Amino acid sequence: MKKIFNPFGRISRQTLAVMITLQVIITLLLWHTASNGLIPTPGRVAMSFLELLSTKLLLDNLLVSLLLTGKAMVYSILITLALAYLSVLPFFKSIAQFIVKCRYLTLTGLIFIFTLLTKDGSQLKLSLLVFGIVPFFVTSFLAVILRIDKQEYELCKTLGYNNWQILYEVIIIGKADQVFEILRQNFAISWLMITMVEGLSMSEGGIGALLIKYNKYNDLTHVLALQLVIFLLGLFFDFILGSIRQWLFPYTKLQIQTA
Amino acid sequence: MTAYTKGEVLLQADNVQLCFGNRVILHDINFAIKNIVRPGMQQGQVVSLVGRSGIGKTQLFKLLSGLQSPSAGHIYLQNNKTVQAGDMGVIFQNYYLFEWRTVYHSLLLAARQNAALAGKEKEHIDRYAEQFQLTEHLQHYPQQLSGGQRQRASIIQQLLKGSPFLLLDEPFSGLDVCVLDKVVELLLEVSVSDEFKTLIIVSHDIATAAAISDTVFILGCEAGKPGATIKKEIDLVERGLAWEKDIKQRKAFTDTIEEIKDCL
Repeated sequence: MKKIFNPFGRISRQTLAVMITLQVIITLLLWHTASNGLIPTPGRVAMSFLELLSTKLLLDNLLVSLLLTGKAMVYSILITLALAYLSVLPFFKSIAQFIVKCRYLTLTGLIFIFTLLTKDGSQLKLSLLVFGIVPFFVTSFLAVILRIDKQEYELCKTLGYNNWQILYEVIIIGKADQVFEILRQNFAISWLMITMVEGLSMSEGGIGALLIKYNKYNDLTHVLALQLVIFLLGLFFDFILGSIRQWLFPYTKLQIQTA
Repeated sequence: MTAYTKGEVLLQADNVQLCFGNRVILHDINFAIKNIVRPGMQQGQVVSLVGRSGIGKTQLFKLLSGLQSPSAGHIYLQNNKTVQAGDMGVIFQNYYLFEWRTVYHSLLLAARQNAALAGKEKEHIDRYAEQFQLTEHLQHYPQQLSGGQRQRASIIQQLLKGSPFLLLDEPFSGLDVCVLDKVVELLLEVSVSDEFKTLIIVSHDIATAAAISDTVFILGCEAGKPGATIKKEIDLVERGLAWEKDIKQRKAFTDTIEEIKDCL
């Protein structure tokens, strides 16, 4: 018992499982007790969750959102990689650094400009998502480049590599695993933003549009059930991307073991 | 005394100076490494550069490897070529390897930099791996290797690259007695693998470095002058203290070590 309150204390898998189960039960009990007429009880949310899972409505909207997220991720990765790799050239460094600062721009203020620049709702949502994701991607990736151990460059130089070969070996190949990790971490951002941008053009549907619809009618039970779907899907993708990373780059798993 | 002659200059430091801003780190570094010829055998050169911690050994190491340019002066190789990064095989103190490559892949990348090995890279990797007892670790990643295995992999990597010079930064640092003996044996093996093979060992372990060297350069400070310079060159061959197995037991050797220590 003492161990779970000890700094850096190590607990067994069994203790961990018992502890998490108890925490979940306590949370659900607190939620159930605190629920009044407005906030639905966990039981009602669970029922609504199961009901949602059995409908075609959820699947259709989910596919729309996943497709849009997938597209936005692909474009964002391509733009980020191009900018990050080019940032080692002085000409592109300032551009990449400007993109990093774009994190402080709010999307809300730019929606009208994007509406003027795009042809339809689909393009608007995609461009807003990409614009929202890229600064965070670039920030993370530039941080990886800045953290590169000087010895990695020096080893390349002692092997007689030219600067292009160093870029290829140290940054493109050497940091490929970290690109994947950035992708995994930032997937959460795009997943978070999708519900926001889908509200801008609701005609194509998507879980964001569905969420806004339920909110509009104060259907909190369905809102929370949908949030649960979004949350569980997020965890699922996080797990999948983590597993793919370990499969593609086995040495990252070794680092975890020896850390 | 073993018969030998000293031939052409293989490396020459000419009035080398290194400053960081107004701070002088190294000044008036002048020395030459010559080809030692022993009749009937391939004898490479083993040179030690010794000095106190923080005196500037690593900076001189970087200058010799071409990773840093001197503030003044030049370091020449044969044919008056100024040394550049890539001219020397460099083994860093922590035996750095590409963490994302298997040992085999790292060695292959190094071998591909050597035009003389074109088409025979795998053959040479296998030969070196066997010689250095790394065959069963070729498919491992650096994180899976012990310190000694990493060191051997680093040495093979630089040998495959094909430079006649091998610069080693503190190769004896943090090794236990058994591993130390193996490393010494390994370096001696490398030194006799080619007539022009030249090992430059930067170390503060004076006795171990001197025991396998033919020449010791002592880096130290001179009274009233900022920065360090080569204070003394000791020709161990001339003193009959080179190329002998149990040299550490000889009184002349221990006296020489004391002489070096007094110079620091």
